[in-house]
Amino acid sequence: MGEFILKRLFLSIFILFFVMFIVYALMYSLPTSYVESMARELATKPGSTKSAAEWLVELNAQYGFDRGIVGGYLQWIKTALAGDFGDSWNWSVPVVEEFNKTIWYSFILSFIAFILEMAIAIPAGIIAARKQYSLTDYTVTVFSLIGISLPTFFTATILKLIFSVKLGWFDIGGMQSRNYITLSNFGKFLDLASHYVLPALTLTLVSIGSLMRFTRTNMLEVLNSDYIRTARAKGLSESRVINHHAFRNTLIPLITILGGSLPGLFSGSLITETLFSFRGIGYASYYSMITGDIPFTMFYLMFVSILTLLGNLISDILYAVVDPRVRVH
Amino acid sequence: MNNKNLNEILKHREALEQKAKEEQNNSTNGPIALDDTQRVKVLSPGRLVAKRFFKNKLAIIGLAILVFMFLFSFIGPLFYPYSQTDIFYKYDYLTIDYASAAERTDAIAYALNSSADISSKIKNSLNSYINSMEKDGKAEVSLTDDDGSQYSIQKLGEKVYALFADQLTEVAKISPSVSIAKYNKFSKQFSWSSGTTVDEGLQKAIESAISSKASDFEYNGVSYLIKSESKNIYNIIRNTPEIEWSGENLGNEFISLAMKHQDETKFAFNGADYRVKVNGDSSISVSAIGGKTMVYVLSNLVFNIYDKAENISDDFKANALLAIYNSEKFSYNGKTYSVLKKGRKYEIYDESNTEIASLGNFVIKRYSGQDTLSFDFKEKAQQTIYEMLEKNQTSSKFLYSLPQMDLQGNYVLDKDGNTAYTDTEITVSKKNNQYVLTCEQVTYLIDIFGKPSSKHIFGTDGDGMDILARMMYGGRISLIVGFIVVFLEVIIGVILGGISGYFGGWADTLIMRIVDIFYCIPSLPILIIMGAFFDAIKMNPYERLAWLMVILGILGWAGVARLVRGQILSLREQEFMIAQEATGIKASRRIFRHLMPNIMPQLIVNATMGLGSVIILESTLSFLGLGVKHPLATWGTMINSVASSSENMIKYAYIWIPVGLLICLTVIAFNFVGDGLRDAFDPKMKQ
Repeated sequence: MGEFILKRLFLSIFILFFVMFIVYALMYSLPTSYVESMARELATKPGSTKSAAEWLVELNAQYGFDRGIVGGYLQWIKTALAGDFGDSWNWSVPVVEEFNKTIWYSFILSFIAFILEMAIAIPAGIIAARKQYSLTDYTVTVFSLIGISLPTFFTATILKLIFSVKLGWFDIGGMQSRNYITLSNFGKFLDLASHYVLPALTLTLVSIGSLMRFTRTNMLEVLNSDYIRTARAKGLSESRVINHHAFRNTLIPLITILGGSLPGLFSGSLITETLFSFRGIGYASYYSMITGDIPFTMFYLMFVSILTLLGNLISDILYAVVDPRVRVH
Repeated sequence: MNNKNLNEILKHREALEQKAKEEQNNSTNGPIALDDTQRVKVLSPGRLVAKRFFKNKLAIIGLAILVFMFLFSFIGPLFYPYSQTDIFYKYDYLTIDYASAAERTDAIAYALNSSADISSKIKNSLNSYINSMEKDGKAEVSLTDDDGSQYSIQKLGEKVYALFADQLTEVAKISPSVSIAKYNKFSKQFSWSSGTTVDEGLQKAIESAISSKASDFEYNGVSYLIKSESKNIYNIIRNTPEIEWSGENLGNEFISLAMKHQDETKFAFNGADYRVKVNGDSSISVSAIGGKTMVYVLSNLVFNIYDKAENISDDFKANALLAIYNSEKFSYNGKTYSVLKKGRKYEIYDESNTEIASLGNFVIKRYSGQDTLSFDFKEKAQQTIYEMLEKNQTSSKFLYSLPQMDLQGNYVLDKDGNTAYTDTEITVSKKNNQYVLTCEQVTYLIDIFGKPSSKHIFGTDGDGMDILARMMYGGRISLIVGFIVVFLEVIIGVILGGISGYFGGWADTLIMRIVDIFYCIPSLPILIIMGAFFDAIKMNPYERLAWLMVILGILGWAGVARLVRGQILSLREQEFMIAQEATGIKASRRIFRHLMPNIMPQLIVNATMGLGSVIILESTLSFLGLGVKHPLATWGTMINSVASSSENMIKYAYIWIPVGLLICLTVIAFNFVGDGLRDAFDPKMKQ
């Protein structure tokens, strides 16, 4: 087991190296005029103490644009390994500072959506599988397919129309109401919480479908397996067959998948956060990307890649941990 | 007993069988024997899949939606009269701001025929003096300029004022010491200052003075100074003031008095007052102060000059203004004119008693600021405003004939080919201190956000383009993008996955590592970055669309490759593959004839589901403004263009909700069909 994890870890580092190289090459290939305009823009920003030419030299040196792709990339790795990701161009603070500021908002948002998703999708999927071809099953199947088919932006716009514009229950975006400052501490908490509702709902709606389908398919597979037939044949009650024999086995792929998606909770949600002006990591990185903020973008892409690799690693390990048969083979 | 031969017996049997068959065909519920071949219907695998597929209700719904989408977006535009880039215009009555009227509060100065020059400081402050006069109720105010000039403003009557200035007569001009020449001793050349008359005697006197190194000399009773400027260059300065008398010579005492008082500007000599003024060239003018004369006539009244009247000069205007409170008659250039008061305004008539101008209180101009309105229009507008003031109204109307336009926005011509005029209702409304004159005119404008009508079923968008046409073309782009991207993914994925799975070894390892890398690349951020990059270099929309498809394809093939490899690995272990190897079939035939058909089902299901997600990705990017760009229509941009603010979200819900539903329906349809295909290909999941 230890050897397996170690091997996978090395493989992940290898993959990360090349993924970041591709991302770096892409960033490098953006025409220099882009960096130049960036330098000009930075020089005119309030609080900037450097001229455009100085910025250009600094940017080129900082990102090794004067050393070619490979040399620049190796330099980026060197500074990144030392924990130095530079200053964000768009947010005018060190990259790590902006990251610390936003990451927890994103995590809480994703976590709420994750819990909601599990609480709704897993029971619905199991019920649908138990009553295959019933009305319930069709309803769940159709709903999950609709959920998969809903574009995030359309869902978000519809929710905004209903809950913000028509009903006026929540703000259309942002993190605070206008009267935030005047509120008591508890009021501030409630106000912040109310700004989580629509983004969390959007995230849940667009991701619930696939989990529902996944649960249903796996439960069906389990219900069709021989040991369930055996359990039924020996006269166990249906509830015991489902809850004891079938459900536990359905959990194997579920835990693998859900465990693998745990790191993803930190990666923020680009589209949803942007649409609701939710000041999480997704929002920050979206604006960094469209303004060509190379330091923050590089950092964010590295972060996301690490999370993806970590997710794969976790699901592989969990697969082995949860299902003893895998370990035997 | 049986005398029939074998042949007959067979014929009889055949006939019986035929009969049985016909019976069976007639009644499907007929009894079937256990060993009847009809019991087992053997279908080809393809038909089997099709049969299972068509049994699935959801798949049928999905298929129906897809057929509709294809007809809608590929066939629809052929029959629909508008294209995605047609901009529609309309002719509409639009209330335009035609003219504006404002009461003139500042008096304008009209110069009388006099040459008195008045400093700009006084000129510019005349209005403030008049205002303070009005405030204090004074009839006259006197002012002094920096140079000691005395002025006074007199109120001649309501809104007419006159500026009086001292009449000055210059008596003497004194030029004190001034450099008259420069002399170069080396080249013996003079360079005379301008305005100096060259005098040979003086020239000689200078030369001798310089050669004797004297610092001053006298010539003709005038004393000169010699100053050495640099080596060999001398400056000759006349030291005695030069005096030009305009009239009689008042003597040296007068001059010394004037020089003494040049800072006080004024002095008295022999009981008369004189003014001293230092000119720009340091010469001094001395003038005698006489009586006061009128230099300007000032008035708030506005001249409205009859269109055909000759150009009227300032002098004329000044005389006319004076006549108001004088004799009501004045003569100018030998002609006599009369000024008559009519209500609140004054009218000016010439000798033949035709009106040439009127005087009112309001400045009336086109709203754009040009003074191109006709005399009649101005008179009528002014009349209306006076009535409004009397009745204390804030808005009123009057009729005036303006050039007529038809609904196509062209000027209407009458039968003689002249522009036809129509009585147009002009509304005058008071806004603060201004009056705005508005009227309705037919205007040619882009039909922005046109309401749904029989011409445009979903109305028009913010660029005046037909929404339904753009929905169709948007669907076309979404579907084309979906198909091309999935095609690219499948091509790359099948080739690389196939090589990896079939050959194994180092090729497998290499390709799978590449797949791992591409699996890990965060594709949405990359797409956003590329979108921002395309924006930055302002790529043209068609090129951009092609690039978008290529990038989507490159980012998406890894999943297909993994799937193909996995399938091949599991198929390789099966007996039929071993049998192929044993029979020695060519590798290419083995791959394309035997391996591929077994991978196809999974691939088709995967591609169908993939189409849906590519369409979502494309529309999301377009919604963010980073995907397909204007003028190409896409569903994403159509939604973004109307759903960006909460106000528009409600107002244009009839646009963005149908478009959003089109996206959802298309993606749902692909998912339904993909799901149905999966179930049809793999009946294991069905009980």
